[in-house]
Amino acid sequence: MNVGQQLINGLVLASGYACVAIGWTVLLGAARLVNFAHGQLYMLGAFVAWAAMDRAGLSYWASIPVAVVAVGLLGAAMQRLMGRLMLEHNLTSLMIVTLGFGYVVQGGAARIFGGEPHQLQSPLARGSIRMGELWLSGQDLLVFAVTAILFTLVWFALERTRVGATVRAVAEDPKLAQLFGIDASLVYLGVFVFESATVAFAATVVAPHSPILTSMGFDEVILTFVVVVLGGVGSVLGTLVASLGLGLFTAFFGALVSPAYTTAAAFAVVLAVLVLRPGGFAAK
Amino acid sequence: MTAVLACRGLTARYGGSTALSDVTLEVPAGAMVGVVGANGAGKSTLVNALAGWSRGRPDISGEVRLGGATLDGVSAHERARRGLVLVPEGKGIFHELTVEENLALVRAPEDSAGRHVFDRDEVLGLFPRLGERLRHRGGALSGGERQMLALGRALLAAPRVLMLDEPSIGLAPRLVLDLLVSVRGLVDRGLPVLLVEQNVRAALEVVDRVFLLERGRVVGQGTAAAMRDDPRIVEAYLGALVR
Repeated sequence: MNVGQQLINGLVLASGYACVAIGWTVLLGAARLVNFAHGQLYMLGAFVAWAAMDRAGLSYWASIPVAVVAVGLLGAAMQRLMGRLMLEHNLTSLMIVTLGFGYVVQGGAARIFGGEPHQLQSPLARGSIRMGELWLSGQDLLVFAVTAILFTLVWFALERTRVGATVRAVAEDPKLAQLFGIDASLVYLGVFVFESATVAFAATVVAPHSPILTSMGFDEVILTFVVVVLGGVGSVLGTLVASLGLGLFTAFFGALVSPAYTTAAAFAVVLAVLVLRPGGFAAK
Repeated sequence: MTAVLACRGLTARYGGSTALSDVTLEVPAGAMVGVVGANGAGKSTLVNALAGWSRGRPDISGEVRLGGATLDGVSAHERARRGLVLVPEGKGIFHELTVEENLALVRAPEDSAGRHVFDRDEVLGLFPRLGERLRHRGGALSGGERQMLALGRALLAAPRVLMLDEPSIGLAPRLVLDLLVSVRGLVDRGLPVLLVEQNVRAALEVVDRVFLLERGRVVGQGTAAAMRDDPRIVEAYLGALVR
């Protein structure tokens, strides 16, 4: 086993998990809302980008804003439909409604894009960077850079700006926020659009790693849910640490034992961690 | 005196029960008006209905006017932005945000006509203790400090009218009077205040007019001096022997 290469593989995997998870982290942690259609929004982001390239002839780079805007608008529509459930923090209903919405998105996508696998082609996926025996693709580097920038910006916005304080205030008590002159439904709209747009963005940079299918939503983000919970719900830094841990674990377990059992093994680790630390890594 | 805040026929129902019934009330410019009554009399329901705010889902009817303009259909956050500022009973600040962040959440209006503008330095001058605790989270403050912070953020919102719901709850008796005297000082600077208070004795010391609520209805009103002698108030709140 090449330890250095597995370290790189682990870091690349970790960046992918974290990049897909950031929207959920903000949604669940800062706004204390859930969206179980997250996986399907990821799938849709990848397919909108693919369609923009394959059917509209756009470049990979031009397809990214198309996917971000399209899925962001869908997120806005979802928020408007579920506005009241959010204001009342009715999480059980939100869970069921968003789960159902995810299946509607999946069915709609299958109807539009078909059931065949496709490949989201990125010009960076072909080139590779070699350092002796170690290598990574340009796409890996892009995922790594995008994740680092996204996490820095989100952490700064949440912890150091008035907008971030407003989001955290609404998360703590949306009713009280109204008395501060804050339009809580507008904040929820912003957070939902952020979540949808970032998962679409994540899809455009992460999905070129493997073929895309309209049925991939839940499978693709199951480990995202894991890192959000493992990191301590809502903790931006916790999500980053959990992604790193899970990415490295998956890479080394795959190399040492078998890639076929990595998901099962990862869940076993998650169970063990949550039994010992029910609040995740970020728990005080 | 012109009324800055007025309501007419204000009624609030929760399911089948009526919490507030046909209340008509005015807060004149530069005055401090008290609403007193027993637990469950509808005092909090009244100020919440005026603010268009509630943690439950009451059916509200009747008219509320701020500065002569109707607030019919105006949301709670918009009423706050227009200067109808409520400090609710109990939790009036964000516990997970620092004192600094709680204060920074509020933004003064662009048009300050008719508003009573207080800047950050004035607020910290009124409550110096807050200045020493700027980096502490709201949840780490004492009861008195939380009340100061709630009042401070309300002043930063440049109120047209300030409504305080039971500010004395959880405070030591000495702090209660200090707080109410501070509020009276704001009224003397021109800020109209509607005070809901269970501590009737303390309230009568500082308000100009009093409304007595019982089972959601206004059963008595008058100047503080006159209401001090109202037999219902004396018997229920001040003690018959005091006379």
